[in-house]
Amino acid sequence: MNSNTQKIVGGSLLLAALIALPHFLKFHHQDLLIFLTINVLAVSSYRIVTLTGEWSLIHAVMMGVGGYTAALLFKYYEVGMWVTLPMAGILTAAVAALLCFPLFRTTQFYFLIGSFAAGEAIRLIWIQFVFPFGGTGGLSGVEPPMVGEIDFMESIPYYYLALSVVLLCLFILYLIENSRIGLTLHAVHWKAALAESVGVDTWRYRSLAFVIGSFFVGIAGALKVHYLGTITPNQFGVGFMVFILIWVIVGGYNKFYGPILGAVVLTLFDESIRGFAEVRPAIYGAVLILSILFLPLGLESIPSKFKAWSGIGKERDPLSLTDK
Amino acid sequence: MELIFQSLINGLIQGGFFALFAVGLVLIFGVMGVVNFAHGELVMVGAYTVWLLHAQHGLSYFFAIGVAVVLVTLIGLFMERFLFRPTQNDPLAGLICSIGMLFILQVVATLVGGEGPSKQVPPPFHGTWVLFEYLRIPYQRIFSLLISFFALSTLWYFLTRSKLGWALRAVSLDKEASALQGININRISMIAIGIGASLAGLAGALMAPLTNINPHMGHNVIITAFIVTIVGGVGSLSGAVLAAFLYALFHTFVTVYFGGTIATICGLVLMVVVLIVKPTGIMGTRISE
Amino acid sequence: MPVLEIKNVSKQFGGLMALNNISFQVETGEIRGLIGPNGAGKSTMFKNIAGFYATTKGEIVYQGQNISGHKPHAIAEMGIVRTFQETTLFQELTVFENVLVGCHIQARSNLFSAIFKLDKPRQNIARDQVLEVLEFMGLSERQEQLASELPLGSQRALAMSIALASKPKLMLMDEPFAGMNPEETLHMMELTRKVQESGMTIILVEHDMKAVMGLCDYLTVLNFGQLLAEGTPAEIRNNDKVIEAYLGGSK
Repeated sequence: MNSNTQKIVGGSLLLAALIALPHFLKFHHQDLLIFLTINVLAVSSYRIVTLTGEWSLIHAVMMGVGGYTAALLFKYYEVGMWVTLPMAGILTAAVAALLCFPLFRTTQFYFLIGSFAAGEAIRLIWIQFVFPFGGTGGLSGVEPPMVGEIDFMESIPYYYLALSVVLLCLFILYLIENSRIGLTLHAVHWKAALAESVGVDTWRYRSLAFVIGSFFVGIAGALKVHYLGTITPNQFGVGFMVFILIWVIVGGYNKFYGPILGAVVLTLFDESIRGFAEVRPAIYGAVLILSILFLPLGLESIPSKFKAWSGIGKERDPLSLTDK
Repeated sequence: MELIFQSLINGLIQGGFFALFAVGLVLIFGVMGVVNFAHGELVMVGAYTVWLLHAQHGLSYFFAIGVAVVLVTLIGLFMERFLFRPTQNDPLAGLICSIGMLFILQVVATLVGGEGPSKQVPPPFHGTWVLFEYLRIPYQRIFSLLISFFALSTLWYFLTRSKLGWALRAVSLDKEASALQGININRISMIAIGIGASLAGLAGALMAPLTNINPHMGHNVIITAFIVTIVGGVGSLSGAVLAAFLYALFHTFVTVYFGGTIATICGLVLMVVVLIVKPTGIMGTRISE
Repeated sequence: MPVLEIKNVSKQFGGLMALNNISFQVETGEIRGLIGPNGAGKSTMFKNIAGFYATTKGEIVYQGQNISGHKPHAIAEMGIVRTFQETTLFQELTVFENVLVGCHIQARSNLFSAIFKLDKPRQNIARDQVLEVLEFMGLSERQEQLASELPLGSQRALAMSIALASKPKLMLMDEPFAGMNPEETLHMMELTRKVQESGMTIILVEHDMKAVMGLCDYLTVLNFGQLLAEGTPAEIRNNDKVIEAYLGGSK
């Protein structure tokens, strides 16, 4: 009970801080905060895909699928954000479900390359077909909604909108991960054959994780395009995919909050090296390599490492490690 | 008719380039089990070296090719020693390190060449070989094709006839058994990446006068290399070479009639189809379980 | 009544005939040993029954239904579950969680009920069932430990618990005694018999002849992918063909 009270108090404080935060920021930083909020959903939805042990390289493109869905619905059917947001999720999930049939006949390396190829093919389709996708220049003029007096074109209202949507999505993702389904996804990751032998249809669970992840990243894509107003194929290329990978890996992918931590810390870091625009990608590359080599479990693992090193708060007593 | 013949020749020359960098990717994957995502950037560095030394500083084209090959080989060896060897038990970690390397190399190229439009290298070989009155092949392309063939044959000879080549193939078939046989895996990995990187550097150097050089040219290279590798069969060198030429012809013809983007989309779809229908590729025989 | 009938099953890998026209039946409630020298095709037979390989020819009939060519998870759902050679466990999960995964068939839930926690009653039943299985296998005290921290004997017991949790009717055990000392082997034999007494049919592949002879009701001997002999342990022990195959194999 005590720890539950702690959680509630901590959660409320965090929420209050998140609500108060934009009022202390300059306009430029408010902008950044909105993108960070959206990116948190992108990495957290990626986490559920990786739970089964498959690292997909199509996640960024799936975010684009959501974004393009929202943009197309807005431009050609003139429906508002309240419709485009769920539709982006549903359509992205549908595209993901179709891709499952070819992609999940493969695993590991083949899946990685296959997902990369499928993603590039989708991106090239956006470039090739100027109608309806707008080619390399993409689409523009996608607007956020207006409710009574509140204009969501403004940063702070849009931030609250995005924050509510993202928090709701994170909550659902958290529930899924801690449910029976989450346990089965872990099982598929660690020993697929053993899971299969007790009746787990591994193909179905891999697909399920991929479809769920795509649904939520589709929503993230829609949130992004409604704020930016424009969408281009290059926003969702390998570059952005690599950013997702870096956030997840630097943050740590063994815990739910790891990728979120990675996204937040690296966005702050990114802001601090703003002056070195030209070499920014190289700095990122170096950070990626160094964290793989020296902190393979990510930032999230630092507290437990520190605990183990100082000898306090040991959680498990390693019994009978000898007999093997 | 003229167009078909011309495309056939162009496709053949393109195939030589594709084979040069795809073979390296296959070799590195086969021996070390890691997908080198920065392979396209190795080609890019090769091209940049030629641009810098030959086009900017007026040094001899052949000298520039030599420097390109040596430089890219050194980068490859560096990657093996400091990125792939420490992560050899986790192929994903190796792959991600190579993505990090990709960014670093792109930034270095931007710093060396500056921003702005793509660079061009004036062809060192002038003139065109006219065949049957309507077929025109610039000497530059003939030179590239000959060198690619020469490099590939040398590689083939090395792998099939020398003891080291035999050890290299043994490692790619079964790492553990080879280690038990007393083969030094680290040394073989060095050799594999050395060969792979030098071929990538050579490909870049040969392509330099025929293409637009910019820091992001590696992207198309790696996509092509993936398509060729998968279609040819992961781990199969002869499959990669065959697939390189077939895909180059296919790509050239589709580009002529429908445009380059459609050609690449077709290639990617083809690759996904091969992944599903025959994951071992056209020449692959190994069954991975 | 036979629970499992193997009818003229062949399995070919390229040019190699791993199983050649094999037929035998397994009766409900027995412990059947599948033995033979190395490379005889025992493991291949297992993988065929459990659906990890597709048979080249022939039928595998389980409770009157041809199951050859079905996927492993579908076969598990029908009530056939296998354990693996060595210690294939979810090393990163606790003992409790390992067995909880084993309850997949009864406890799985769909996305909707997982999110809204509508599956709570079912999950509680599964948890009780896990506790029951752990109690039965003598692992109750270790339920919070990580699987990777267990000694070998307990790891094997855990592997069996995972299988049991799926409530199978037929259990395929792949070399359950490999690498064990005599004491652990005896303990494992006891457990196996206990499982049989609870109404399970068991087929096991094993090299430890002492354990096989002491445990099995009936033996099926394979050699070079062919059926060599069948009989009670006493009959097999005195079968000339079997003796020759084993001696010939060890030369």
